[in-house]
Amino acid sequence: MNIPEGILCSKTHEWVLEENGEVLVGLTDWAVEQLGDVVFIELPEAASSFSKDEVFATIESVKAASEIYMPVAGEILEVNEQLINSPELINEDPYSAWLVKVKPSNYQEDAASLMEYDDYKDEVQ
Amino acid sequence: MEVVGEEKKTSLYDEHIKLGAKMVPFGGWNMPVQYEGIIKEHNATREFAGLFDVSHMGEVYIKGIESLEFLQSIVPQDISTLNEGCAVYCQLPNKDGGLIDDLIIYNVKNLEIDADYFIVINASRIEVDIPFMIEEAKKFDVEVINKSDDFSMLALQGPNAKYIIDKLNVKLDEKPKFFTIKKTELDDVPVLLTRTGYTGEDGFEIVFENKYAAKLWNKILSYKSEYGVVPVGLGARDTLRLEAGLPLYGHELNEKTTPLESSLGFFIPKDKKEEYNGKKLIMAQKLKQEPLRRKLFAFIMEDRQIARNGYEVFVEGIKAGYVTSGAPSPTLGKNIGFCMIEFENLPSDLVTRLNNPQESLGMIIQIMVRNKLCNAKLTKKPFVKKNYEK
Repeated sequence: MNIPEGILCSKTHEWVLEENGEVLVGLTDWAVEQLGDVVFIELPEAASSFSKDEVFATIESVKAASEIYMPVAGEILEVNEQLINSPELINEDPYSAWLVKVKPSNYQEDAASLMEYDDYKDEVQ
Repeated sequence: MEVVGEEKKTSLYDEHIKLGAKMVPFGGWNMPVQYEGIIKEHNATREFAGLFDVSHMGEVYIKGIESLEFLQSIVPQDISTLNEGCAVYCQLPNKDGGLIDDLIIYNVKNLEIDADYFIVINASRIEVDIPFMIEEAKKFDVEVINKSDDFSMLALQGPNAKYIIDKLNVKLDEKPKFFTIKKTELDDVPVLLTRTGYTGEDGFEIVFENKYAAKLWNKILSYKSEYGVVPVGLGARDTLRLEAGLPLYGHELNEKTTPLESSLGFFIPKDKKEEYNGKKLIMAQKLKQEPLRRKLFAFIMEDRQIARNGYEVFVEGIKAGYVTSGAPSPTLGKNIGFCMIEFENLPSDLVTRLNNPQESLGMIIQIMVRNKLCNAKLTKKPFVKKNYEK
């Protein structure tokens, strides 16, 4: 598993990667490990907007459904359509299987409450 | 058994940890929910073999000259027709016909153990069943002995299970047939060996003293490369039993619901003469003299969502019950489940249609998934054909 350089993680186990004013959002390897086999994901519509910490997606493993929270406020530019038919890609590599691409509305402030990957790992272990 | 915090551990706790199992609380026990992954474990059981630690299950000995009369008074099944060495799936009704538990009763009079009948009960119901049975037993010359802490239990399930049993130096001319029990040794471990399970596959359940647990567990798993056997946790146990259309106590079965209402009518004999708890309502429903108040249905989701336990169910736009179990079916690649439809608020013509399988099968209902109504189709159980070797 390849942890992309520069990702930030939330306490609710989402990761973000900012590049040129756009942000990819996904689920951390720790969260995916806890979920087990992912069998279904419900993603939002493109162009919808979410505030920070708002539920924007639902992920289902064999055992249970879990909600996913928006780590940075913004508008959905794109959803990863591949995951709709192949949700197991999230188990295979949670860092290439991003969920949504977001145009953040308040990135600097929102990112300040996120952790670097190593700090996040210390927190969950 | 060992009590740690709130939850008990089975004798195989250390083995589960060594295998990297994810442990969860279940029915008062700390149990493995998965080892390598629920889908992998599910498929291995259907294709090869799965080994389950089911030591949390309760075991009861029934002993005494009125053993038969006692059992006749507590279950709807006719135990007088249960031959020595044979097993029967039973329910334990309360006075109103609701279910305290479901169980398997074995006639073990021929096995030279200290009991006439051997009963396996649900882990989560041990503390309810045992006092209930002891109270009921006061009317008879019989002893109810809780053996749950003395025994460990493994379930070895799947098409390769029988070949693995053959490898364990089993001292029998013939392995037990479907729904029978034998006393024997597996690799010098004294066991009760039964041809039963909870997966819809051919397989065995093995009951023995706690001290042999790790030895037998590891010996069976040593046939992984030869027979594809893997350890299986509660996660896959649930998807396997659901596909096989088997009910789980606390989900499809409860104290307010009769066996007929839980779609177990098939198991209720019409002609048992003896009285038993709840007989009046159970027989009236069996003979269609008394209407069902609710009924359990199997469904397959038409939409892609997964219906989970507790989600609300709507029939023709009327809120009419809840999902009792729901999960993706790894074998079918569809999302399946059971729901309890309450008849109380439905118009009588709709209840008539629901009670008629020719009309109800194929009926589309709605299930509320995260504030969205999703379609599901009522269907026959089991979802996946049973693969028993009879």
